[in-house]
Amino acid sequence: MLTRRDFVQAAGIGAAGALTSMIGARGREHAVWSLLEPTLHAVEPGIICLASNENPVGPGKTVLDAVRTAFGPTGAQPGRYSGAASALTEEIAKQFKVKTENVVLGCGSTQILRSATHLFTAKDKPLVGTIPTYEECAGYASMMGHPVTGVALDSEFRIDLDKMANAAKGAGLIFYCNPNNPTATYVGARATREFIARVNRESPDTTILVDEAYFDYVTDPDHDTHVPIAIENPRVLVARTFSKAYGMAGLRMGYAIGHPDTIKKMAEWDGGGGAGSLNVLALHAGIAAIGQPPDFTANERARNTAVRDFTMKWFADRGMKPTNAQANFMFVNIGRPVKEFREACKAKGVLVARDFPPFEKTHCRLSFGTMEEMQKAVAVFGEVLGKKVTARAA
Amino acid sequence: MPLSRRGFLRIVGSREEAFSGALIAARGLEAYYAEQQAPGARSRPVLPPGVEEIRINSNENPLGPGRLALDAILGKFPEANRYPFNSSPADTNLVDAIAAKYKVKPENVVLGAGSQEILKNAVRAFTSPERHLVTAAPTFENCTNTAKKLKHGLKEIKVDANFRLDIQPMIDASPGAGLVFFNNPNNPTATVHGAKTVADFVAKVRSLAPQAVILIDEAYHDYVTDPSYESAIPLALATPNVFVARTFSKAYGMAGMRIGYAIGRAETIKPLATLKMPYNVSVFGVAAAIASLDDPQHIADERERNTKVRDFTVQALTSLGCKPTESQGNFVFVDIARPAKEFREACAKSGVMVGRDFPPFEKTHARISIGTMEEMQKAVDVFRNVLRAATTTAGGKGRF
Repeated sequence: MLTRRDFVQAAGIGAAGALTSMIGARGREHAVWSLLEPTLHAVEPGIICLASNENPVGPGKTVLDAVRTAFGPTGAQPGRYSGAASALTEEIAKQFKVKTENVVLGCGSTQILRSATHLFTAKDKPLVGTIPTYEECAGYASMMGHPVTGVALDSEFRIDLDKMANAAKGAGLIFYCNPNNPTATYVGARATREFIARVNRESPDTTILVDEAYFDYVTDPDHDTHVPIAIENPRVLVARTFSKAYGMAGLRMGYAIGHPDTIKKMAEWDGGGGAGSLNVLALHAGIAAIGQPPDFTANERARNTAVRDFTMKWFADRGMKPTNAQANFMFVNIGRPVKEFREACKAKGVLVARDFPPFEKTHCRLSFGTMEEMQKAVAVFGEVLGKKVTARAA
Repeated sequence: MPLSRRGFLRIVGSREEAFSGALIAARGLEAYYAEQQAPGARSRPVLPPGVEEIRINSNENPLGPGRLALDAILGKFPEANRYPFNSSPADTNLVDAIAAKYKVKPENVVLGAGSQEILKNAVRAFTSPERHLVTAAPTFENCTNTAKKLKHGLKEIKVDANFRLDIQPMIDASPGAGLVFFNNPNNPTATVHGAKTVADFVAKVRSLAPQAVILIDEAYHDYVTDPSYESAIPLALATPNVFVARTFSKAYGMAGMRIGYAIGRAETIKPLATLKMPYNVSVFGVAAAIASLDDPQHIADERERNTKVRDFTVQALTSLGCKPTESQGNFVFVDIARPAKEFREACAKSGVMVGRDFPPFEKTHARISIGTMEEMQKAVDVFRNVLRAATTTAGGKGRF
């Protein structure tokens, strides 16, 4: 059985070759999906979890009240198959001023990413993604025996648009994670629009999956959603999730917005976009969440930005360079293998993220907790990094 | 969901349109019908004041989860923001709890977002254009629909004269198969096969089709009262290429929570682990399921409750001149001697929602889920009126 780390290392080599040969050799059964699952265990009380890019303050009262209401007066409603998928689809469509035919739901954006990879890649239509990026699409493509082309980031850890466009020729799907997980960098809206136009021109059969999971956390002034392009262009699909700014990672709800033809394909492949996978409490939570006034996400962004600035400054002041974080996490050069940092922090009650090859010898991904958590966490980082520095000096 | 509310209403108005057929194929019938019942969807006839809808069309537990499960969900509110692998208990703890219940290892269990994920992935993993699916007709359609969508081979074997899975023709259809779907008790016919019959069936299929995987779907396990029945889980654990699917959607009362699982030998279910969606079960579902597994009395009580209401319903239908099959689920399959559609639409006007068409018996049989005793007493009154009225009408036309 492979560990997640082995998998990511294989992916980090760059090419799909490494992955597909590994999987080819072992047979499809052995390309075990669970190899992608973190080896993390449940967060114990008192532990500060900065490992999974979760929103530390949760979905808020409006959403939790909706969950409670979804029980029904006698608590019997969770016993019923839910019919709320239509209502959530309508709410999302309303929010984005699109039609319901532009929206498909998923069990987290996980299901969206898998369906898109399934539909738009093939043995002769590779997946293109950056190295590193969120592993979902690459893992699924590899499991299906579809090639994966990895594209290195630029020197600022951003998507290298030129390299990406070149790699895209003849590809089935580009996974365009923006802001990019784990590097936290963001490509501005204008540059992304130009990239999309270029790919459409140079490789007209390639679909571009723009993953806007961290959209609500971006503070770059050149920021915009690509939903308006997606609804007009069958080769562009936007993925969103309730797991990040909406604080609902535990509920499992995501969605895609796109052209009706693309959305229809997604829905048909996986049973109504996975309607059978959507739980009733998440559906009602999603309706309540997305119906909140825009200041909900604005407030969450402001909260995150303050914590982000505090944490980035702490590292920068100590000579450790973070990338330009535009998300609820940062990617920072700690000048030593992240494994030893991670283990030392864990021993002091702070969990930080897994390895992200090829940067596992230098860079750590840290999710932002609450300000109080980060104040405690940096004290731990200081002890761990300070001790190490001292030990080396000695 | 590429479907506006207006489009939705249009479908409800005429369910037999081709459009709804495509929709059903894509989304699964339970989900489709569930959606029609959505609060606020205005999908049902306007009922007279004071008449509440009785939803006995989807084989749900009318009481929902037990109190401990609901409390467990409330207890997880502070962790709504955590991924299922970070919450406490984590999704792996649910796997551990299921494994402990059956005294197996975690590697013998794969979680699904409902057993539908398990069934779909079994078809994806084990069948191909060359290696067909053997299933029954009628039976739960998830596997059938998935095989059709993938254009994989399919052999559907009509149930026997007693509406049970027809053992010998299913065995005969198994050579060259990739997957054999054996729903026991069978939805929609409500019949069950005893443990010995199942064991013999498995042995014969394995001798004729050693490569075929046998999926025994025991969704309604907890409702069976026939003493000859036993779970096939021990058989699955002892036999290569056999596994059992279970769900929390029926007796556990958590259809809305979407949790099911496969249990079998690790090497048999490994492809299901491969195809499983990561983080497919919510933190609330994990907590509720673990709490439910700690509450076996709730399941025993639910079986007893269902049995009483089922007995009442079977007797009432029989006294109305209708013939139910030998029901071992939380539903009955009954010969009403007229098209199910006609019966269903007439009942819906009085707020009683019964099951969809189940070809090839849609001209004679209805599937009626078991609600609460109070609901079934009211429903039987409606059935009586509908069946009388229909008989009179039919008589007037000289059909009987």
